[in-house]
Order: sequence, then C-alpha cells, then structure tokens
Amino acid sequence: MPRISVFARSANGNVAPKRVIEGQATNLSRTMHGIAYDTAHDEIVIPVALSGAVLVFKADASGEVPPLRAIQGTRTRLVRPHTVAVDPVNNEILTADPSSRAIFVFDRMANGNVAAKRVISGAQTGLLDIVGLDVDPIRNVIVASSRKGNGDKVGLFVFDRLANGDVPPKQFIGGPNSKLAHFRQVAIDPATGNIFLAQQNTRMKQMEAYVLDKPREGFQAKQQDEDDDSDEGRLDQMGFIAVYAPDDNGDIPPRAIIKGPGIRMAGAAGVALNPKKKEIITVGGNGFQTFLLPEFFRPFKKIGTTAIPR
Amino acid sequence: MRRTLMAAAAVLAIALIGANRFPAAVAASGSADEPSLDDLLAADCIDDAAIEVQQAAARLPQEGGVASDNWPPNAVGGVIPPLRSVSDPFPTFDGIALDTENDRVIFSDENRHSLLVYDRTAGGASNDVTEPRQWVFGPKTLLGYIAVVEVDPKRKEFYTVNNDSGDRMTVFSYDDHGNVQPRRQLILPHQSWDVSLAQGRDEIAITVQQSNAISLFKRSATGTAAPIRTIRGLATELEDPHGLYFDETHNELIVANHGNWTQIRPYSPYDPLTTDVGEYKSGAFHPSAITVHAADANGDVPPLRTIEGDLTGLNWPMGIDVDLIHDEIAVANYGDSSVRVFRRSGKGNVQPVRVLRGALTQIVGPVSVAIDTKNEELWVANYGDHTAVVFPRTASGNARPKRIIRNAPKDTPTCGFTNASAAAYDSKRDEILVPN
Repeated sequence: MPRISVFARSANGNVAPKRVIEGQATNLSRTMHGIAYDTAHDEIVIPVALSGAVLVFKADASGEVPPLRAIQGTRTRLVRPHTVAVDPVNNEILTADPSSRAIFVFDRMANGNVAAKRVISGAQTGLLDIVGLDVDPIRNVIVASSRKGNGDKVGLFVFDRLANGDVPPKQFIGGPNSKLAHFRQVAIDPATGNIFLAQQNTRMKQMEAYVLDKPREGFQAKQQDEDDDSDEGRLDQMGFIAVYAPDDNGDIPPRAIIKGPGIRMAGAAGVALNPKKKEIITVGGNGFQTFLLPEFFRPFKKIGTTAIPR
Repeated sequence: MRRTLMAAAAVLAIALIGANRFPAAVAASGSADEPSLDDLLAADCIDDAAIEVQQAAARLPQEGGVASDNWPPNAVGGVIPPLRSVSDPFPTFDGIALDTENDRVIFSDENRHSLLVYDRTAGGASNDVTEPRQWVFGPKTLLGYIAVVEVDPKRKEFYTVNNDSGDRMTVFSYDDHGNVQPRRQLILPHQSWDVSLAQGRDEIAITVQQSNAISLFKRSATGTAAPIRTIRGLATELEDPHGLYFDETHNELIVANHGNWTQIRPYSPYDPLTTDVGEYKSGAFHPSAITVHAADANGDVPPLRTIEGDLTGLNWPMGIDVDLIHDEIAVANYGDSSVRVFRRSGKGNVQPVRVLRGALTQIVGPVSVAIDTKNEELWVANYGDHTAVVFPRTASGNARPKRIIRNAPKDTPTCGFTNASAAAYDSKRDEILVPN
C-alpha cells in the first residue's frame, strides 16, 4: 500500500506507526524507493514513480494531506523517479530515474512543470538502473548506486556535485571484490563523508520476463524461479550494509559491514543514518532494524594502513 | 492450526526483537569527545532477545560467501544483532476469494507471504485468532508480495499473483497445505496486481500497475506463455489499475484505478541505455476511477464507461466485486476505510448507492471485498488491523459486522509495510520515516 509511515526512533517490536501519510490527496504511489528529510527546512521529499513526480510534504504531515510542492510535467523529463536526496546547503533536490537513466537536480523550491538545473546522464556516466542517491554538500559530491545487467558498472558512482551532462564519475566502487550486485539506497554521513549502501543480496537483480507489456525475447523461465528481493535460503548470497570512505575507488571490499541474521531479516534495501546517536536504520521487506555502531561514524584509515582491529 | 499460527509468529518475533548485546568486534573505544557506548545504550531499551540472533549467527556456515568471518578482510563490523527491530510477525489480509459452492473463503497475506483458507462460516465475536483450515506458507510456495486471491470452485483451485518479488501467478489446490509447491505457475509482467477468472471463456485477466494495462491469458497458461491480448494505451484510461472483475455475463472487465499515470519505458539493468518510446509524455495525477472495458478489447481501446468524480468518493480503490443478481459493484475504498457500492451500469460522477463506513464497522484499510448473494453477506479484508469483517450484504452506514475473522489476537498492532525499500531519519522529531 502506498504510504509513508512514521515511527518513533525508539520503536521496537510489532508497533503501529505514530502517523501515516496516505490517501488520494497525497498523490503517493507504490515504488517509493527513496525518501529524504530536509533538516534545514523541515520537509520530506519523496519520489512518485507511477506518476513521474517528486513531492515535498511538511515534515509533520499526517493523514490525507496534499504535498506542499510537486515537480511534474513535460519540462521535468521525469518518467519513473525512484529515489531522492536533498541538499539543504545549496537548496537543491536531486532525484534518480532508472527509466530516464539520469540524475536530475532541481531547485529545492521547484514546483510544477519546471526544468532541472542539471542532468547527469549518458554513456560516459556509466549510469543505467539508478536505484540509490545521496549528496554530500560538504565534500561537494553526488553518490549514486546503479546497476547494469551484464555485471559491468554495477556499484557506486561518485560525481562532482556540479556535474552536468554526459560526464564520467570521478570515482567508481564496484567489481568482483566488492561483491556489489543487488543494492538500493545510499546514505552519506555528513561528518565523515562515509558512504553507506544497502545491498539486498549478492546475486545480480534477476531479469524481468517482460519489457513493458511484451514478453522479453529470449527470456528463460529458470531465471525467474527465485524471489528476487529475498536472501532466504541462500546464505552465501546474503545482503549487507556496506560502508566506504569518501575517497574510496575501485574494486574494493567495504571498510565496514553489517551482515548476518540481524540484517537479513530486513533484506537491506534501504539505509538511513542518525549520526548523533550513532545509529544505522536498515529497511527492507516488511520491517526495519536499528543498529548502534559508533565505529561506523568515524573516519576510516587510508587503504594500505592498518585497519581498526576486529 | 491456531497453535501453528501463533508459534510461527512467536519465532519470528524472537528473532526480530532488539537487543543490548553488542559484539566485541565492533566495541572498540571511541574518542574522548564522543558519547560512550554504555551511554548510548543506556538511553535505549534493553532486551536480551537478540542473543538469539547471535546464536543463529554462530550456526551459519563460515566457509564462504558474505556469511564468512573472512569477508571483507580487515573490515569493521561483521555479524551484528540489531538494537531494535520493527516488524509484524502475523499475517495481514489483503485479497479475499469466496467459494460458496464448497463453503470456503481464502485470504492472501501480504505480510508473511501466505494464503489462509477458512470455513465460510468462520469467525465470530472472539478476541482470539481464528483457526484457518489450511495455511499455504513457506519458500516452496514461491509466494512473494501477493495482493489478491481468486478461486475456481469448479476445479477447487485458488490463484494468487506476486505483485512484487517474483513476477508470477501461482495456483494451488484445495488439498494444499503448508510449504508446498504451486500446482502451476505463470510468469507475469512486473507489478501485476489482480487476477480474475472467466470460467466460460476459460481465460484469466490480470491488471498491471506500472504499464497501466490489462493482460489476458488462457486459464491454463503456464510458464512464459504470452498474453492472448492486452488492453493498454492512453485511450484506455487505465491508470495504476488495481482490482479487476471479469464479468462474463455482460462481456466486460471492470477495473479500479488509483489515477497515477506515467509513460513506462524499459528500465531494467538488462535494457539498453536509450530506447525509442516515441514522444515523451509527462506523468500525471488523475482522480481514482472505475473503468469498464469490453472483454474482447485489444490494444488502445477506450473504456465503455467510467465512474469518476467527487460524488463517487473513490479514494485509492483496491479490490472490487460485482453482484450480477442485484447489478452492483462493491469497492474496497482503502483511502477512507469504506466500502462503496455503485450501480453496475453507473457512469460519470455518480454517488454510490450505499456506503459502509465508520468506527463501528471496524473497516480499517480495506483491500478487498467479496459479495455472497447465496448467503446474503458482504466480506471485507482489512489490511489495517489483522481482521476480516462480515456484514449483511446490504449493510450501510456505520454498521457493526456480524462476525470477525482474526489473524492475530485483538488489538495486535499492524506495521503496514509492503516491501519497504527506503528510510529517512527526522532529527527534529526523533522519528524514522519509511515509505512503501
């Protein structure tokens, strides 16, 4: 059901949300694979994939309330935006659209049928199925997670914050040593620049049987015989939360990781941070978990030096 | 069976509840200006249950993969239990299918990915869990985020559709129970929502959210069989279609639409960077609507008629059912927790003939309805509170249900997730935001 559920940070167990934003007037739809809280302006930013839009709500919204602003229309070039980030320093809203194969940067106050200020898209970017996005206004970078089915260019793409057009990333984390495959949401710790990524499992997202409403040519049913988002029963393909340093680049494993039964309950599709409390919130499937990990909110040592002992 | 339902929920709950045990691997000392780990923990609830998680971790195979302690090398962290965990261990009803020939009612459960079968007369005034007679549940079933269920009383089969995670329809028999493989399966487009069976035509119709389409297949189609026809395009007015009823008597397909529309393009990691999809059309928000289509339509064909407008009160209509004897359409109106009943031939901005809504009804986030003209009852599956409620067929207003089916003890909370994939933290209110 399309909704934004709001829980107390201390929620634990089987609890109902404190409030819910849902209903026709909200203009929400399913496939909201990203959400951002604007700390400076106390707003929630959310993509609406099935209406090609990005919506902004008051952060204390509850029930069936209309959005404050909606970015939608022919000038936006949005098709199915999946994920969002907000840059309260530079007053910008970013969204990634796997259908447009692009990252769009809008003015934070954009409303209605408005063009993006910048668009990162094209062959040189390496972007394709862009499923996660965050922005670091301190280090002036945009980090996107994107997947390509042949295994090439599956990972994290780091662009200059002001990148525009068909430009290559300044850093790329991916490759066999990274075990990056089927991931989604990205979050950046503003203090350290550490990059957090939620990965559902280490098997590449499976091919869908249809392209639009037509059966995919050459599709083999055996490729569809397992639940795509779950790692149940496949312990060697379990998902995890991976953490990287802001300057990391290349085919490298994570600097820090949350794995095991605790994280696999969620499937780890989403990740959010509470730097003050040193908490990492992971969401996936039908639940979310909170991990207390102060070590993950400290700068990592340069590669080649001794890591913090385990 | 009741004990089974409760025990399964309890096992999951134990595994999900938060904990205080912090792994030594990550408990390295912090800098002097940071709060200590003990201080951070002291501010939160403490619970020993996640020891279970640690013990489960110890039982994992350690020889390879990410479960191994050897990967990633020299990394911080590892197998770590959560401090807190929010999840609902009980089923949540969404789809409903009624078989008055064999006196069964079948529910789909989106939360635990299962199908629950009850006697048609099940339920009552008890606050306890209602005992299902069958429960199809487990990895062999291939059930994912299922939204609906359809029944074939003649062949004693029931159908469901994975709306997410494993794009397929699965078919089970009345003899199936537990962790069983489906009798057959049909691969479907991603985001398929409802399935409706046409016995006479030997066809099934499927709504597909993201492509704003109705796809029709032979009833017995399996594997990667292609649709025999598809209704799709701007003229169809299909917009985020959900509930569907195949009305063979009038040769019509009746569809509940949420009103979201965007131009779908190839989007997967296996599709090319750019594709020619013609002129760009931007997304749009439209009102919810009931659209009625010719059952033989194929391609971009306008609906025969549409129920839409302020007077209808439609608000995220989910499942629908049609009463061919009294010529009525019942709609599970999720957005305002009501059931709205329209004349089957209604057209335009029309009021429902009756509305079932209010605190006494105990209708909370309804996702499906079923009309029983044989026994003069109306069934409603609540996504919002672990119940299904049964009314007299013509109940209206703020009426009490005549009986309640519970999949969890009374007043059990419902988290309300459907494959949630993102989160944000609101630092001002100390809250966690989770969209579905």
